[in-house]
Amino acid sequence: MSTDSIASGGIAARIAGFVRRPEAGTLAGLIIVYVVFAVLGGGLFIGAPGWSSFLNMAAEVGIIALPVGLLMIAGELDISVGAVLPAASLTVAIISGHYDLPVYYGVAAALAVGLMVGAINGFLVTRTTIPSLIITIGTMFGTMGLTLGFTVMIAGSTGVFMTPDDISRALLGQFVGGMFRVTIFWWVAFVVGTFYLLHISRWGNWVFALGGDRESARNAGIPTRRLTIGLYMYSGFAAAFVGVSQVITFQSAQVAAGQSFIFNSIMCVVIGGVLLTGGAGTVFGIVFGTLTFAIVNQGIFFSGIDPNFGSIIIGTLLLAAVLSNDSFRQMALSYASKKS
Amino acid sequence: MKVENTWKKAGLAAVLALSSTALLAADIFVIGGKPDDPFWSIVKRGAEDAGLVVEAQGGSVTWLGPQNYDNLGVDAAELIRQAIDQGADGIVGPNWVPEAMDPAFQAVVDAGIPLIIYNAGGIEAADRLGALNYVGAVDYLAGVAGGEYVGKAGKSNGVCINSLPGAANIEDYCNGFVEGIESTGGKGSVLPLPATAQGNVTAVSQAVRAHLLKNPEIDAVFTTANLDAVGSVQAIAQSGKAGSVALCGINFDEAILTSIANGSQACAIDQQGYQQGFYAVSILNGHINYGLNIPTREILTGPGIVDSSNVEATMAGAKEGSR
Repeated sequence: MSTDSIASGGIAARIAGFVRRPEAGTLAGLIIVYVVFAVLGGGLFIGAPGWSSFLNMAAEVGIIALPVGLLMIAGELDISVGAVLPAASLTVAIISGHYDLPVYYGVAAALAVGLMVGAINGFLVTRTTIPSLIITIGTMFGTMGLTLGFTVMIAGSTGVFMTPDDISRALLGQFVGGMFRVTIFWWVAFVVGTFYLLHISRWGNWVFALGGDRESARNAGIPTRRLTIGLYMYSGFAAAFVGVSQVITFQSAQVAAGQSFIFNSIMCVVIGGVLLTGGAGTVFGIVFGTLTFAIVNQGIFFSGIDPNFGSIIIGTLLLAAVLSNDSFRQMALSYASKKS
Repeated sequence: MKVENTWKKAGLAAVLALSSTALLAADIFVIGGKPDDPFWSIVKRGAEDAGLVVEAQGGSVTWLGPQNYDNLGVDAAELIRQAIDQGADGIVGPNWVPEAMDPAFQAVVDAGIPLIIYNAGGIEAADRLGALNYVGAVDYLAGVAGGEYVGKAGKSNGVCINSLPGAANIEDYCNGFVEGIESTGGKGSVLPLPATAQGNVTAVSQAVRAHLLKNPEIDAVFTTANLDAVGSVQAIAQSGKAGSVALCGINFDEAILTSIANGSQACAIDQQGYQQGFYAVSILNGHINYGLNIPTREILTGPGIVDSSNVEATMAGAKEGSR
């Protein structure tokens, strides 16, 4: 590891400088994946149809992957996002569709549901010694059960229809240029906000400290409980936001939706170079990871590859990304420790 | 084979005679889909409504569904064995993945528990396993009906969206659809989706759109799940093909009926899930309690077609949660 840095000359130092950026490996992977599918997919994939296709998908999973990534940096997991999403969709559909109340009532209630599940997760994680994986699996099933129970009780069906008003459709369900979902711009806003939180504000250092060593973080005066609860509320909010935008876009909410977001968001974060054990990761890494994931998922359909093999490519990508991130991180970590 | 069946039937009859005299409370276990699955909640409703009679006669109806569809065949086989272990007097189950589930159904018959196959498998499965009867639609025929519908509407190239590759009933829908559209002189194909798209309407929608853009000759889409149909409506609109690409799908809910009413979906194939749950439980209950039998083998509940001509009438039932 350190032999590289000792042998650094001019060019070597510059290469080392790039490699030192933790997201360098992810960006390299993203470019390779895009080029591969651009070659296979041709003009259709390089043009607006291809970009809108993977950006639409990336935006939704990306909004959830950001807080899930923050939680992983802080050493925690959140499985419950997969249940919060349909819970939020159905909250909107039941309040604004079934009961025909104004859409913003439904949206506000749905986001509140997300924040509440997040607060419960955070509370349980900070007050017990149960691993967050288990706690959030528990709250996932709890939320799923409540969603199903209330939906069948109130609407008598597991799919609820609604007609959004013009304002909510313009803000959350619109297709810019007929194909780019407005969610993409919301994703950008989430990225900017999360970047500020993690990399500029004081709060960000606390998150890293939390993932590095929880005990020392608390001894250093970081309000670890409040921070953890805040992170879980953010991920609950983000999942609810995606649920809201899905119901406004598709005008229908289904109880069975959302579960693929659990693994998909974790995959995006891991491809993005966030350490599973916590303490390391960047917002741009998560964004690159999300884009890579979405390009592979959508690229399959443009490329002419037999879609039967699609899952193999997705799985291989995940393993390759983690392997390459690992070696990049080795270099990055050895440099960082040398500098300090 | 034939001899074996006769023996099984004889054995069954003996057991039934015993059980009908021994106890008059039928504890019936129904294996079905996830209770939050739009289609299965309707089947469950039918089973529960039939369960009112079962309960009035001192019995019970218990619904067993998997938590997810990631490992459907194995999970469902496990549920069948659970039902046996819990002392079921009668079992209703779908034969989704014969390879994984047949041994479990065999165990039901071997234990002398009356069995009805419903929803998937057809009368062939009921005969093979020694079940009393089959209640349900023939998946393959439902697919054929969809293929013929779009073919007769003048479409010549259809794709079936398979969001659950490997499940026997979805494969049958898709094969039937291909057969149906080919019988009208058209061309049919199947698009399998990766697991990362499951339950994610956006991912399904984008996959279908990409496929339509990549293959501009496709003018009909066939879906096998409600979520996929909702996603495909958007996919067709965003690929600029609203009006030129026809969408048909298996099953429906309120949202899909609205799509049919406003013309963005052409038709839905109805297998009347309520009837499947209702009749399977009723027949089994009568059989266990009173030794009754239905001489008609293979009780078909579908396919029926919902399109613009009968969508209004169907909507009323959908609002009740029974269609």
